[in-house]
Amino acid sequence: MARMVQVPGPRHIEIRRMIPKARLHELSIAQNIVDSVLAEAGSRGAKRVLELRINVGELMQIDRKALRFGLKLLLTGPVLGGAQVSLRVRRASFSCRRCNSEWDMSEAKRQLQKVRPELLVREPESRELPLHFFPYLYAAFIRCPWCGSSDAEVKDGKDVEIASLVLEGAA
Amino acid sequence: MSRPNPLGPAAAARRLQGVGEVILVGSGKGGVGKSTVACCLSLELRRNGFSTGLLDLDFHGASVPEYLSLRPPVSSDKDGLRPKTRGGLKVMSVGLFTGDNPVPMRGPDKQELTAQIFGLTNWGHLDFLVVDLPPSMGDELLTALNVFGEKASLLLVTTPSPASTEVVSRLRRLADREGVPILGAVLNMAYVGVGRKKVFPFGRRSAKTLESEIGSRLCAVVPLEPTVADRSLVEVLESRGEFAASIAGLAKQVRSALRLLPATRAGAKAPR
Repeated sequence: MARMVQVPGPRHIEIRRMIPKARLHELSIAQNIVDSVLAEAGSRGAKRVLELRINVGELMQIDRKALRFGLKLLLTGPVLGGAQVSLRVRRASFSCRRCNSEWDMSEAKRQLQKVRPELLVREPESRELPLHFFPYLYAAFIRCPWCGSSDAEVKDGKDVEIASLVLEGAA
Repeated sequence: MSRPNPLGPAAAARRLQGVGEVILVGSGKGGVGKSTVACCLSLELRRNGFSTGLLDLDFHGASVPEYLSLRPPVSSDKDGLRPKTRGGLKVMSVGLFTGDNPVPMRGPDKQELTAQIFGLTNWGHLDFLVVDLPPSMGDELLTALNVFGEKASLLLVTTPSPASTEVVSRLRRLADREGVPILGAVLNMAYVGVGRKKVFPFGRRSAKTLESEIGSRLCAVVPLEPTVADRSLVEVLESRGEFAASIAGLAKQVRSALRLLPATRAGAKAPR
């Protein structure tokens, strides 16, 4: 069974006090990444995480600086301290299952400008698109610009994922 | 190595620590009143003083916001998305992000979204999380069983129609195979009160027959309540009608069934 290593709760409260104006969802994402990395390292019996590569999907429109900052503060302690982090933005690319057309984020952004203001999520310092939280809802907002179908597919750049981990002492 | 998605599962696992019991409300069949039962049960549990949440997993046909008169926008703070509240009940639904937009979505995307919408919501401590399942036995149900694990139990909802009980019995069998405890079955839309008479629009069948067909005991018989269309569910539950009384009885039965769960759960995990 995987050994779960919990990140102490008070630590992230403290981080959020330090950067009260940061986009808050990025900090939640950083916390979730750290939890996932610790779980993976624990399940493999690793002593340390040496390197962590994260792919960030363009569709979520994540503030990379805020995410990097959150990670920097959370990646401490004997297992995570000193881990090299690289963040790579994966360009979002879309295709239509109906007519096989393809388009990119610039077209998606054009369509997302039409999202009704009342659907924007209220953060303390900003208003965010629902896709910032739930990228899998893309088809509710983005359609094929050529045939109008909602049967679209995000081929790349949708979500945040841990692309690779380099572990020391893993089984 | 595998690529663990850091958003949904990690967040969901952390949130689940603050939840006592997860009550999945399902039938496998559409149009039997799952959402009404889920809304009423969760409101009633809240009225009984329990900290209660309601999660709408019917992504394509989210109706919980409509039943509870909840509208976008949703707010977010340092602890996650803030659930909307109605009568102290905490509610989260995709409908609060998509409004009246159609929500087309394929299987794998639904799996990710199921974990995310639960995990990114700041439920705080909950005695009960009631989950309104969509029709069918697809991605939402299977993912919910994974996400909620041993805290999950299932409340079945059926009408008296054989077409409904037949599908509900399939869901019951699936739950048995997966080791998910069954809290009982709600016979919904059982009758309509017309003056002092009862009319049975979906047929009149004995409890014994229905229990035999479904393979589970009936824990509540809920009438059709025509005034639901004109009044809020909160108002209907505060009235003294038969509908309100049946929901009060349902909440009591569910709590009783949950108290017996440790033994049931152990039994459910016995070799098939």
